[in-house]
Order: sequence, then C-alpha cells, then structure tokens
Amino acid sequence: MDTLLQILINGISTGAVYGLFALGYTLVFSVLGVINFAHGAVFTLGAYLTYLLVGGAVGSNGLLAGLQLPFALPFWAALPVAGLLTALVSLLVEATAFRPLRRHGAEPLLYLITSLGAGVILVNLLQILLGAEGYAMPTTALGSLPITLSLAGAQLRTVQLVLLVVAAVVLAVLSLWLEGSRGGKALQAVSEDATTARLLGIDSDAMIRLGFAVSGFLAGIAGGLVGLSLSITGPYFGISYGLKALGVLVLGGLGSVPGAVLAGLIVGGAEALVPGEWSGYKDAIAYAFLFAVLLLRPQGLLGRPQISKV
Amino acid sequence: MSAGSLGLRAPLLQIEGLSVRYGGITALRELSFTVGQGELVALLGANGAGKTTTLRAISRLVDAAAGRILWQGAELARLSTERTVRLGIGHCPEGRRVLARQSVATNLELGAWLRRDRSVIATDLERCYQLFPRLAERRQQLAGSLSGGEQQMLAIARALMGRPTLLLLDEPSLGLAPRLVAELMDTLAGLHREGLAMLLVEQNAAAALAIADRAVVLESGNLRLQGPAAELRHDPELQALYLGGAS
Ligand SMILES: Nc1ncnc2c1ncn2[C@@H]1O[C@H](COP(=O)(O)OP(=O)(O)OP(=O)(O)O)[C@@H](O)[C@H]1O
Ligand SMILES: [Mg+2]
Repeated sequence: MDTLLQILINGISTGAVYGLFALGYTLVFSVLGVINFAHGAVFTLGAYLTYLLVGGAVGSNGLLAGLQLPFALPFWAALPVAGLLTALVSLLVEATAFRPLRRHGAEPLLYLITSLGAGVILVNLLQILLGAEGYAMPTTALGSLPITLSLAGAQLRTVQLVLLVVAAVVLAVLSLWLEGSRGGKALQAVSEDATTARLLGIDSDAMIRLGFAVSGFLAGIAGGLVGLSLSITGPYFGISYGLKALGVLVLGGLGSVPGAVLAGLIVGGAEALVPGEWSGYKDAIAYAFLFAVLLLRPQGLLGRPQISKV
Repeated sequence: MSAGSLGLRAPLLQIEGLSVRYGGITALRELSFTVGQGELVALLGANGAGKTTTLRAISRLVDAAAGRILWQGAELARLSTERTVRLGIGHCPEGRRVLARQSVATNLELGAWLRRDRSVIATDLERCYQLFPRLAERRQQLAGSLSGGEQQMLAIARALMGRPTLLLLDEPSLGLAPRLVAELMDTLAGLHREGLAMLLVEQNAAAALAIADRAVVLESGNLRLQGPAAELRHDPELQALYLGGAS
C-alpha cells in the first residue's frame, strides 16, 4: 500500500523528468519556432548510452551483440557523459535536418518531416546495432545505495529520489544560466526577436546550435533517468515518452520554461495518483487530463496567448 | 603618412549603384551616395520610398540585386549582419524592436554584446543613463512595459552601447511628442558633435534637416536629389514635397 508521501515523491520525480525532457523541446522551439521531432530518439539514445556506460552488456540480436565496455562508470558519472554525447548527436541533427532548410527559408512543416526522419534513422540504427530487446540498468549502477530508503516512516524507492535530485539540480542550473549568464540572455534575445539580436551582433546561428546542444543534453539525461527507473523497453521506447512530453510541453505553454516544468509536475502527479489496479490506463488518463486543460486554456498554463515568428 | 591621411579622407560608407528587389518588386534602383567620417546624413522620402530597405541592405539583412556597398573602401556584400556590427555599423531599427521580455538594463547590456572592455562598458552605461534619465529610473523594469517614447530612447541607447562608428537610425522620432522630438534631435546633434557619423531616416524632414550636414531624398526607390542640408532646407521642390507642402 503506497503512502501519500510515496505517491507525492513518485509524482514529483516522474514529473521533474518530464519537465527536463519537455524543456529540450522548448529550447529549440523558442529559438527556431519549430518542434524537433528527433528529440524522442535522442532521449532513447541517452538511455542506451547510460546503460552501456554503467557496464551494461549488449544482448545477442544486434550487430554489436555481446559488446560490453571495458570499464563501468558509476551512474552519477555515466549520466553526464551520456548527456554530452547526446548533445553532440543533437548538433548533428541540427546540421543535417535543420540547417539546410533554414538556409533556404523552408516552410515550418518541412522541419517536421526532416526531424522525424532523423529520429527514425537514429532509432533504426540503435535497433540494428543493439537489437530490439529490452534492457534494465545493472543493479550495481547506483553503487552501495540501498534499493529502498525509509523516510518519515515510508519506504521510498531510492531511484525515485535520484530522479528527483538530479532533475532538480539540472533545472536549477539551467534556469540560473538562462536568466543570469551572457549566453543565456543572448539565447533569449534570439528567441524573442532573431533579427534584432543579429543587429546587436549576436550570432543567431551559434545560438541555435547552443539551443540544440543543451536540448540534446537534457534529452540524454532524461533518457538515462527514465532508463534507470523503468528500464529500457526497446529502441522505440522514446517515441511514446516523447509524445507525452510533447503534450506536457503544450500544456505548459509552448516556449515557456517555467510552464514546461510546472506541466511536467502536474502530469507526473496525476499519473502517480492513478490507483495500481488502473495502471494500464495511466496514459489514457494523462491524455484525457491534457485534453481537458487545453480545452479550457488553449495557450497552455503559462503560455502567451500568441507566439509570432518571422 | 599620405596613405593614412588618404584613408581618413575616404568616405566611411560608399553606396554605388545599389538595387534591391523583393521578389518582383524593385524597392531600390541604382542608388548612389556616401556618408563621410563623422558626417550626419539625413535620408528622406515618402512612405515606401525605400529608406528602410537602404538601411537593411547596409546591415546585410537583405541582399543587393546589383551595386556595391563599401565600408572604408571594402565591400560588405558577402558579410553577415553580425560582421557589419563588428565593423562598427550600429542599426537602430524601424519600430524600436526592444526586447520586451528583458529588463532595460539587459537590453543595454546586450547592446554591448560584442565588446569585451568591461570597465568602458560600465562608463558607457552610465553615460546612456545620463543621456536618457528616464531609462535610469526604470533600469530594472521590463522593456515591454515602457511607453513608446521610452522604448525609442532605449532602442537608441542600446545601439549606442555597441560604440558604433556609423549609426543607422530608422525614424527615431516616430510616435514622439513634439517636445520629445526636439529633445531627441538635440541629443543626436550632441552625439554628432562628438564625432559619431549617422545616417538618419526621418519622416520629420524639417527636424532632420535642422541637424544634418547633408541630405539624400528618395522617391519610389530612385534618388530624387541630394545636397547640403543648409541648401535643401530652402529648396522649393523639397518644401513642396515634404516640408509642409501637399503630400
Ligand atoms: N519584405 C518585403 N517584401 C516585399 N516588399 C517589400 C518588403 N519590404 C519592403 N517592401 C517594399 O519595398 C518598398 C520600399 O519599402 P521600405 O520599407 O524600404 O520603405 P520606407 O521608405 O522605409 O517606407 P516607410 O517610410 O513607410 O517606412 C515598398 O514598396 C515596400 O512595399
Ligand atoms: Mg521605413
């Protein structure tokens, strides 16, 4: 029987990771005005990379069958390394699926196709290399931490606390950076008015690349965290997660950073409140909730009524 | 020595046979004029004459269909907008374009984006606040919450924070009360006396001619006339067109 505290921690930790992931969409959307549909695939890649870096072995189906890295990093080291690698992959996605279109001033709809294409290629590559089977993070990943911790009389899964702490730290650092640093302010300037930013001497192409890199980092971290808490069910596991995060993004208000976090917490909380015997309907309940809120507030919780991009 | 002094006498900005097209529409046709070191040139003309297009071409926001734009003798044609800013061309765009979701202070700080001389930036910031005391009172306020006139001041101050050699100003007096227009023109004249070169686009031709050294008048994308501001102030043709004559 779950206690209220357990439900609360589950909800907040799941929601914080949704928030991290949705923020990745937000960063790209705010500088380019388009959704990056390869984001879910980058998330998947982050989960697999984390799995390999903590010493997980590849199964028997893929081209890399039986591969295991000669070293095993602790989870706290593997996660940022995976994040840096997915940041690089995200830059590659920008260079191949976005930049050529931008050069030609293409329609926003075309970015949907090219980024979706990049995502599908990435997922298929994972399948070819690592096979279609599911993987669970080795139990040694968290080192000597016990499986459960007791807090105020409740038994809590350690994994949920790890999710919560990592997501909170990353979100805090990211918002400090966005609001306080030179680069963060320049990124916001490009997202508000790219032409004016260029007239101030801000290299908007460089800022777009920065947005993709940070977005890829967030996707990779979120992937590693979800892989740790729920296991990796196969190369496609990022797709359904990505769709739900897209819902979270819309719920928060497209382009709003605090909105993405708030919406993540709400959806995570709503899911955690679904009783165990109904858990098969978790997604349906989450989507019904999203649907209902958007009927009442089409611009999202914290979104501005209209976003115009030139 | 002679090369150096020659360099100083060469115009800062030289536009030769510039044409710009938007799809099928020709917005500028074979336009030529110059802006010298420290010179204040007024760029006048009716709505749709091509004034904004001229400034956008100089800042490389639109491509030239023909002709050349030379900055201290070197072609700008292949450079990015960011490069023109780095070279010393500041641009205060039409319609203010302040960053509404950022504070006044952050707008000004981003105006100095390319500069690394922190202590001089701090001095310049104080100078901007002296020049526009209203901005000083509102430095932590979001730029979007400023009045139209205050936003205009912020846009000009932000362009000054980049320490430009040449400042392109697109209708800075638009929407300002007459008293504020006079104040603004005084401020611009003061900056000009300190050696800042300007290309000033204005609907308010009388105000611009009062402080300009020279003026260039466009009509439907063509050069209509150009000459010393002192002469154009009394030019009957211009009087009829823009200085209180029928429009
Ligand atoms: N992006 C664009 N696409 C198509 N035509 C344009 C574009 N921008 C300007 N034009 C056209 O080019 C011509 C010159 O416009 P421009 O904005 O340079 O005029 P302006 O002199 O600045 O006018 P105003 O005083 O009204 O600001 C106009 O006929 C205008 O309709
Ligand atoms: Mg104009």
